[in-house]
Amino acid sequence: MARFLVKRLLSAGLTLFAVSVFSFLMFFALPRDPVSGMCPKNCNPERLERVRQELGLRDPLISQYAGYMKGIFTGRDLGSAQGGRCDAPCLGWSYANNEAVSDTLARVLPVTLSIVIPAAILWLLLGVGLGMVSALRRGTWLDRVAIGFSLTGASLQIYFVGAVLLLVLVYNLRLLPVPSYTSLFDSPAKWASGLVLAWVALAFLYSAIYARLSRAQMLETLSEDYVRTARAKGLTKPKVYGRHALRAAITPVVTIAGLDVGGALGGTVITETTFGIQGLGRTAVNAVSDGDLPTIMATVLIAAVFVVLANVVVDLLYAVIDPRVRLR
Amino acid sequence: MRPRAAVAAGGAIALVVTLGACSENTGDGTTVDNTRQQTGVIATDPKDSLGPAAEVAGAQKGGTFTIIRETPISHLDPQRTYSFAGLMANPLFSRYLTTWKDDGKGGLVLVGDLAETPGTNVNSDCKVWEFKIKDGVKFEDGTPITSKEIAYGIARSFNPDLAGGPTYVQEWLADSPEYDTKWDFKKNQTSLPPGLTAPDPKTLRFEFAKPRCDLPFAVSLPTSAPLKADKDTGVNLDQRPFSSGPYKVAKNQAGVQLTLDRNPHWDAATDPVRHQYPDQFVWSFGPTADAANNRVIADNGADQSAVAFNYVPSSLVAKVAQDAALKSRTILSPTPSANQLVINNQRVTDLKIRQALNYAIDRDGLIKAVGGQTVAQPMTTLMPSSTIGYEAYDAYPAGANGNVDKAKELLGGKTPELVLGVADNTGEQKIAIQLKGNLERAGFKITVRNIPDDAKLDEVKKKNNPWDLYIGNWAADWPSGASILPVLYDGRSIKAEGNSNSAFFNDPAINAEFDRILALEPTKQGPEWAKLDQKIMKEHAPVVPLYVDVAYLVHGSKAGGVFISSVFGYPSFVNAHVKK
Amino acid sequence: MSLSPVEGVALAEIESTGDGDGDAPKAKGFVGRSPGQLAWVRLRRDRTAMISAAMLVFFVLLAFAVPLIQALYGVGPREQFQDRLDGFGMPLGYAGGITGEHWFGLEPGLGRDIFIRMVHGLRTSLFIAFAAAVITAALGILLGTLAGYLGGWIDAVINWITDLTLAMPFLIIALALTPTVALRFYGQREAVPPAFQIGVLISIFALFGWTSTARLVRGQVIALREREFVEAARASGAGLGHMLFRQLLPNIWAPILVSFSLAVPSYITSEAALSFIGVGLTDETPSFGRMIYRSLDYLQTDPSYVFFPGITIFALVLAFNLFGDALRDALDPKSSR
Repeated sequence: MARFLVKRLLSAGLTLFAVSVFSFLMFFALPRDPVSGMCPKNCNPERLERVRQELGLRDPLISQYAGYMKGIFTGRDLGSAQGGRCDAPCLGWSYANNEAVSDTLARVLPVTLSIVIPAAILWLLLGVGLGMVSALRRGTWLDRVAIGFSLTGASLQIYFVGAVLLLVLVYNLRLLPVPSYTSLFDSPAKWASGLVLAWVALAFLYSAIYARLSRAQMLETLSEDYVRTARAKGLTKPKVYGRHALRAAITPVVTIAGLDVGGALGGTVITETTFGIQGLGRTAVNAVSDGDLPTIMATVLIAAVFVVLANVVVDLLYAVIDPRVRLR
Repeated sequence: MRPRAAVAAGGAIALVVTLGACSENTGDGTTVDNTRQQTGVIATDPKDSLGPAAEVAGAQKGGTFTIIRETPISHLDPQRTYSFAGLMANPLFSRYLTTWKDDGKGGLVLVGDLAETPGTNVNSDCKVWEFKIKDGVKFEDGTPITSKEIAYGIARSFNPDLAGGPTYVQEWLADSPEYDTKWDFKKNQTSLPPGLTAPDPKTLRFEFAKPRCDLPFAVSLPTSAPLKADKDTGVNLDQRPFSSGPYKVAKNQAGVQLTLDRNPHWDAATDPVRHQYPDQFVWSFGPTADAANNRVIADNGADQSAVAFNYVPSSLVAKVAQDAALKSRTILSPTPSANQLVINNQRVTDLKIRQALNYAIDRDGLIKAVGGQTVAQPMTTLMPSSTIGYEAYDAYPAGANGNVDKAKELLGGKTPELVLGVADNTGEQKIAIQLKGNLERAGFKITVRNIPDDAKLDEVKKKNNPWDLYIGNWAADWPSGASILPVLYDGRSIKAEGNSNSAFFNDPAINAEFDRILALEPTKQGPEWAKLDQKIMKEHAPVVPLYVDVAYLVHGSKAGGVFISSVFGYPSFVNAHVKK
Repeated sequence: MSLSPVEGVALAEIESTGDGDGDAPKAKGFVGRSPGQLAWVRLRRDRTAMISAAMLVFFVLLAFAVPLIQALYGVGPREQFQDRLDGFGMPLGYAGGITGEHWFGLEPGLGRDIFIRMVHGLRTSLFIAFAAAVITAALGILLGTLAGYLGGWIDAVINWITDLTLAMPFLIIALALTPTVALRFYGQREAVPPAFQIGVLISIFALFGWTSTARLVRGQVIALREREFVEAARASGAGLGHMLFRQLLPNIWAPILVSFSLAVPSYITSEAALSFIGVGLTDETPSFGRMIYRSLDYLQTDPSYVFFPGITIFALVLAFNLFGDALRDALDPKSSR
């Protein structure tokens, strides 16, 4: 177990390292000029060039990368134009936001977490629940409704559903407040009412997929010999379904859920744009349109961290849920 | 059975979407008249600069006034403020040497703000200016504001770390665009830049090498906001500026919300323009322009005393304009923000082609494409109508939809192949499609080349940029021709990159005219700029004037006192109040 | 930030149920039919499958008949009819300017015909989706079989690359890179042709989309690797090519086909999602994604502008999903209703 974990974490670290190198090369080698946003109306070329040199943009790419990585692990001095000393984990200074990138992340990360985690719980419960019901009531009207619901969800997109929900529930019927983020610790009620629309929209679209997946899994498992044996042994239905069948059926659900949640934590760009909530995803999009390289880099890295971590967690969960899986 | 559920869902969407699609649009009531004349003067009577500002009819104290905006304000630090949002937010917590008394209808008077008058031209040659500081003006900690703190504010704008703000005063004092190398702020923190002196706590003196008649205008920008040296937190002042105005920063959650509370040390008796009606101002960032406007239209709860800083987007205009109940909650006003089809004069050297472009342009179609008359109004002059001394003319009269025949005649059967460089954002993409269709009808061959959105502005400002045409926008920093024509068309200022003169227009005779008019008294310049405007267009046609942006603002039912600044074209909050 | 939630899950679903389905159907037939024939029979009997297939055929025909439709309709996708717009740029008349000449009305602002742009957009979107699905399938099959069959360090490397690809946030990278790609290939004064932009989109999808197919195929191949017929072929000295193309692939085509049929709609919606954040085709090239994105703002003021492209893309994606679902049922009787 411990050996597996170490091995897994090492490979995850290697992946993250590669992501950082690739994205650094990609973004810092782009024909873009991060200095540009600094003077809106009158800029003289000599000044611009001086700033570029001060920022180290004329240094070789390798030493820029080394500086960046050093900042993440030990912090570094960015100069007075960029807020001076930048403590680890230093992700650089954003001219577009006028703050250290780590401050931006600290601000927007809770927003994205607040959108994704409740939504994920909702879509897992709804999706797996629907899938189970339709598998156990196979061929009945319940099954058909559940499948119809799931296919509809899978065929719709968040920007479309979101826009319609906003128009009807918020602007016309005024049943819900305008989506916004309030910290959970400031006011749980406001936190929930401001984000509920995003949760529902996300859950509707995602749960569809989980419903299909868990239905298929459940059907498959129900026809397995050991489930039949358990039933023949005289175990009650809830016991068989709950303990044996569900456990086996849920394994692939966990895989996908891990990837989905990991991916979504990296920024639900479309959801955040649709509902006008400033999370990690929109921060990334704004950073791209501002040519704000340090922020782009940071959002790419953090998104990658979430995906890689989610993968590790999924592997570990496998062992817990499915006794057939042994960790090597 | 499976499809049936899906079809039902599809039907439900269809139903929601088609509701309200059943009425005929006859086009009635979709014309908007918003022509007006701008008048601008510099106050000669010192009484104009005295406080308190006249009470706003129906205004009362109390309440929270909310401003909703998509993106955060780029800088709060007055010396770094240049964005419109920053320029509109700053007067709430900063005072300047001079400021505009604005009736929101184009009537402007430049008055002294911290200064007793809008400046004294000591030798009448615009080279030496003196400002006397008012009594009783204080910072948020109760300490008095003297000429020393104002001078320090100007000095710190020389700090290269604090880039972003206007550079007029710095460049004039140093007599060089490279002002920060001429005078190094970091090495001279205890002294003042060359030419700037504070002989006594009540006097601030500017001495320039060349005549700088626009100084009273230039110090109406936040560069002249005061700061105590011991309160200068460098780049961190952006998070929490030190207040000299009626409000002070109570809480600033960067990028999310800025809360301003009353500043008890601000004295209304010293201030000719600002009020202190609401208990609190809240700037709330995040919602898209669509979302912000939908919120304010819905007029729910706290949004009743809110304003959407981003104007009604073209997609919502039809709804807002045709709702009689909303009429009292909207403000429609032209702005000084002018848009041109900039011609790269280094490449398109044939005057006839430039004139043909001017004849060919279909302004009516273009305005429809960008969202109609509540978004844009046609213009044919270089200076927008909000400029002091403005006179309307059309050097190439071709009607609302352009004169294709006249353009073809000028081209004489040739088909000039021109490349139009546009940003790859939705707005400019639309304009590009419109212009391509429009100009190709008139005998041009237009190639549209997309430029990454974030790079476009820098690219077209480079002297050797490869494009023939691009869309340009200029909003002047004060409503004088001096901050438009010489800035945009003085060929002697062309450098390798960062050119405001992105038409790269250079004509010795015109350059000489700039020098002549700039040396005149500011009050006499107005009509001269208007004449020069016409001369440049008639003789050289360096650009195709397209349209001025129109401000179309919606506010909540309890938000009062908001008007569109005649200087910047964005909502001003000095009179804002919350109705009961 | 995966390409689309649909894709990954559908594949996992197949993966989990598809083990050894190559010979499973044989048990049920009385007459000696191949698994393919059996699946075909089952598919023919499925009403949903037939209806959705008919819809798909209709859409594909529409896409192929674009020049003909345009000739008959008499309006081009770039023609503007601004004289039929009011002072706010909104179409005159009923329901977004629907008339005999303009069946689905006009776009607000530019005043272009919605119907003909939709037909053109359908063609663009279908082409992008099919091309991306074909390329990702090919890449995925190649890498998946190599990893699964050869194992060892090749497997480890390919797995690691898969992890890496999954870890790169697709939307941010697409957003940051696409506008600059053109700068490398075209001069500053050259127009970037739509074909190039379409190519860039397809490449982006290919670059990020192959992972799920690769994982699926790898799993299948590992399951087959130890089977007798594969070992027999190996023992008789068959080459790598023979092993891959004659022995392994024919036995895993069913899940690949299903994954392909579900990948196509996911690329259609991905194209729309990319437009939503400002990546993708320029406005000159009609595409579904761009149209949906542009129209959504007009939900309140010109609902029919939203309705026509919205309902069409919904129908198209739904038809693909229904068909993919039915296809899976037909190919894998264990999970059918």
